[in-house]
Amino acid sequence: MIFNYIKIAFRSLLKNKGYSFLNIFGLAIGITCASLIFLWVEDELSFNESFAKQDEVYYVPTNQNYEGEWRTFYSTPGPLAQDMLDEIPGIVKATRSSSEERLFAVGDNSITRRGRYADADFLDIFSLKFIEGNREDAFVNPEAIVLTQEIAEQLFGKDEKALGKVVRVSNKDNYLVTGVIENLPKNVSFPFSWVAPFERYSEGAQWMTEYGSNFSDTFVELSPEANFETVDAQVRALIGKKADFTDDYAFLHSIKDWHLRSKFEGGEIVGGRISYVRLFMIIAFIILLIACINFMNLSTARSEKRANEVGVRKAMGSSRSRLITQFISEALILAFIAAVFSVLLLALLLPQFNLIIEKDLSLGLTNPIHIVVLLGIAIICGVFAGLYPAFYLSSFKPVEVLKGLKVTHGSASFIRKGLVVGQFTISIVFIIFTILVYQQIQFAKNRELGYDKDQLLSMRIDRDFIPKFDLIQQELIRTGSVHNATLCNSKILSSGNNGSGFRWKGGTDTEDVLLSFRNVTQSFFETTGMEIIEGRGFSNNVEADSAYVLVSESLAKMMGDENPIGNIISRGEDNMEIIGVVKDYVYGDMFDSSDPVLFLHYPNYARFMFIKTKDGVPVDQALSDIEAVLKKHNPAYPFEYTFVDEAFNAKFKNEQLVGELSQIFAMLAILISCLGLFGLAAYTAEQRSKEIGVRKVLGASVSGIVKLLSKDFLKLVGISILISIPIAWYAAYNWLQDYAYRIEINWWIFVVAGVLAIVIALATVSFQAVKAAIANPVDSLKTE
Amino acid sequence: MANALLSLNVATRTVNSGSNAVTLLDKINLQVKEGEFISLMGPSGSGKSTLLNCIGMLDSFTGGGYTFLGEPVHSMKEKNRSKLYKEYIGFVFQAYHLIDELTVWENIETPLLYKNVKSSERKALVADMLDRFNIVGKKNLFPIQLSGGQQQLVGIARALIGKPKLILADEPTGNLNSKQSTEIMELFSQLNKEGVTIIQATHSEHNASYGSRIINLLDGRIVSE
Repeated sequence: MIFNYIKIAFRSLLKNKGYSFLNIFGLAIGITCASLIFLWVEDELSFNESFAKQDEVYYVPTNQNYEGEWRTFYSTPGPLAQDMLDEIPGIVKATRSSSEERLFAVGDNSITRRGRYADADFLDIFSLKFIEGNREDAFVNPEAIVLTQEIAEQLFGKDEKALGKVVRVSNKDNYLVTGVIENLPKNVSFPFSWVAPFERYSEGAQWMTEYGSNFSDTFVELSPEANFETVDAQVRALIGKKADFTDDYAFLHSIKDWHLRSKFEGGEIVGGRISYVRLFMIIAFIILLIACINFMNLSTARSEKRANEVGVRKAMGSSRSRLITQFISEALILAFIAAVFSVLLLALLLPQFNLIIEKDLSLGLTNPIHIVVLLGIAIICGVFAGLYPAFYLSSFKPVEVLKGLKVTHGSASFIRKGLVVGQFTISIVFIIFTILVYQQIQFAKNRELGYDKDQLLSMRIDRDFIPKFDLIQQELIRTGSVHNATLCNSKILSSGNNGSGFRWKGGTDTEDVLLSFRNVTQSFFETTGMEIIEGRGFSNNVEADSAYVLVSESLAKMMGDENPIGNIISRGEDNMEIIGVVKDYVYGDMFDSSDPVLFLHYPNYARFMFIKTKDGVPVDQALSDIEAVLKKHNPAYPFEYTFVDEAFNAKFKNEQLVGELSQIFAMLAILISCLGLFGLAAYTAEQRSKEIGVRKVLGASVSGIVKLLSKDFLKLVGISILISIPIAWYAAYNWLQDYAYRIEINWWIFVVAGVLAIVIALATVSFQAVKAAIANPVDSLKTE
Repeated sequence: MANALLSLNVATRTVNSGSNAVTLLDKINLQVKEGEFISLMGPSGSGKSTLLNCIGMLDSFTGGGYTFLGEPVHSMKEKNRSKLYKEYIGFVFQAYHLIDELTVWENIETPLLYKNVKSSERKALVADMLDRFNIVGKKNLFPIQLSGGQQQLVGIARALIGKPKLILADEPTGNLNSKQSTEIMELFSQLNKEGVTIIQATHSEHNASYGSRIINLLDGRIVSE
């Protein structure tokens, strides 16, 4: 019996090629779309899974209270790890850790890589797999370093053993390679290429051993028997017990949440990327739904063609359930063909998709889960899309259809119209959302940054560079390509390097404020284009300026003093006099207002150099001039740089991703909807061909008939627009709430989306309408 | 004396058209014995097709009694009724109503599928039928590739494949030319002689004359026999 169904389904497909194409193509696009999203979601969900201990490993962030609000930081006091290990029974391993970028050199071979300074427990906590050396004694030697295979091969070559060899770090220290570990996969939250003992980083600094300053990450491993709640409660109490001067507290953040649930508000997890995962899952199902709707619509629209068969089969003794089985089998076959097509489409589109999402997803057809999911999608689509047509078609009474009576369309055509409205509503919501996301990104990109990000290079430097800076700066300017250069302890776009405990005249003693420190050279404001709106900048004498600071506008406002110049900011024993006010600039979150900033003339902490090239100098020339100067004075370092404006654009990655994906999905949703509409229009034109013939004979014009045929569809699109506006507005409103700096929702967006939908629908329908209208009435009237 | 195949006892069929009840069949009394060849005659709208459909259980009487092979059809559940007609009744239509997507062979095979006949047995039965109707050479053709007469031949073969006791034919030659008509009617005669009971509806006096009994209908009533 099933063989019979398959046979008839295939013949029916071949006989109605256009219809089959619309159906299969629409469904294939839907399945492709959903599969792309599922692949992306699979990757997102797999983050950090390469680390063996999934239930025991935790990050230890701290909550700190500033201006009455709890804010969460990954930085913790230095002694926290050891104290947790000593005093909390459930914790079996703990490590301090700090993520740093370092220059590595072996002979002439040099590369920069990010890695981690950490205690020996780190190697256990992350179950690092050693290829050379072993975990137990890797950190016995205080000058040890463990490299990933990738960096080891870069430095020592593919065939050389790295174990026991010496690598020069930051052009001043020698490290002994005591282990080579497997490379980390791409999907880890905190990638690192090397691990070295923490002492090498802290160098016994006193402040790193005390509570009161937060600077290192802390990771812990719980014993498998430990109760999370009990341990977490103890962790939360620990800092308060050790340091009565702060209300900071630490807590446990599971490795399983690092990637998807790492957004904190008021000290609590409020979500994170998981909301994108959910959003895209919903979109995947919506796209599938649209594709299924097409199938239902086209199937019921051509019901007249199938009605006769239903009648005959019933007269031959078929029960209704058998007919339902038959129609659902047909839908399933179609869905399976679509699934096969979608695999081809996926293979074709995946490289492009990878570019957009900046991942390395693969089809993974050898992965049984992928096959099962694909088959699952096909089965669900087939059954879901086939169910309604099956019940509808099988309900025909043989007596009526065999007599050739017209099938009455009441309920079916109402449902069909409803489904078209549903499709277009979704499409229009996508269009509106796409426009809004684009606007929001542009809005933030165009906001007044407070500095000039163009022609600005950022380079990482090490400490040995700082004494040479003055000379390098002069030579850079002398090349004629460089406007100016400066040093700073922080990337211009990044947050971090902050502290609290500041007091000033007229300030309250109860509320703490978090200030960012920027340790800069005199040329900082000139180079970055930041504006000093009051007072003066630094002199060229670092020592003379040691008691002077500049503050950002928002800090000056916070101090409430009408004339902030000359006011004293103090922290502990240090008193600093304000000599100037700098216009606020945006860093950290590009969609939010940034914390106030304290500028100090203290380049010794610098970790970055910024170079502003001159207007009108070609980039290539400027770069080669800069490289020449740096090679001369700093030959050990490779010439590595980033453009600040590129780094700026990279800050919008998440939003850009949402924007681009919602654009793609909007186009696909519309494409699928239009395929359906095209099919429906074709059948309507066919059904009404006699009416059109009569009208033409009676003198109707072609344009009149096109109007007649298009009108009904446009009405449906109109209804869709009305329904979609509140939905889109609500969704957009909620999405925008995540951004402090956001656009207003403009009414014209809805107009644009509506007009676009109408134009697209009209273009789709009018093709069929015109075809029907210019047909010779003699042909249509002759039949029957 | 042949056994009674079916009997209608003041069987009535009404439909509601708007607010009026329209009587399509009015108090029909009819006994059909096995082996009869009955021709229903009457003008369009006289109720011939309705009567055939009701007897064939595709439609049902709204009043009166209908007994088929001793079983009271009027009080049966849909499922049993369907079982009954699947087993004992074959249909032949004016417009042939072959399934376009199926070959001749498959069209003839279809009723057997619904009776859950085993594959090997189906093959044998269909092959026999093709042989008997001399259409073996056409078994892999689709209906559209056949002439009207050939299509009707397949239609009859399909009706016979389930070895029914009763064949209901609604204007079986209505779409055929006179030569094809004669062939089909000859075939019906032949089948009737082999013991199949036939009830046909027809406009044609000539075709009606093949039957052993002619029943005239007018406005849903039997007016003469």
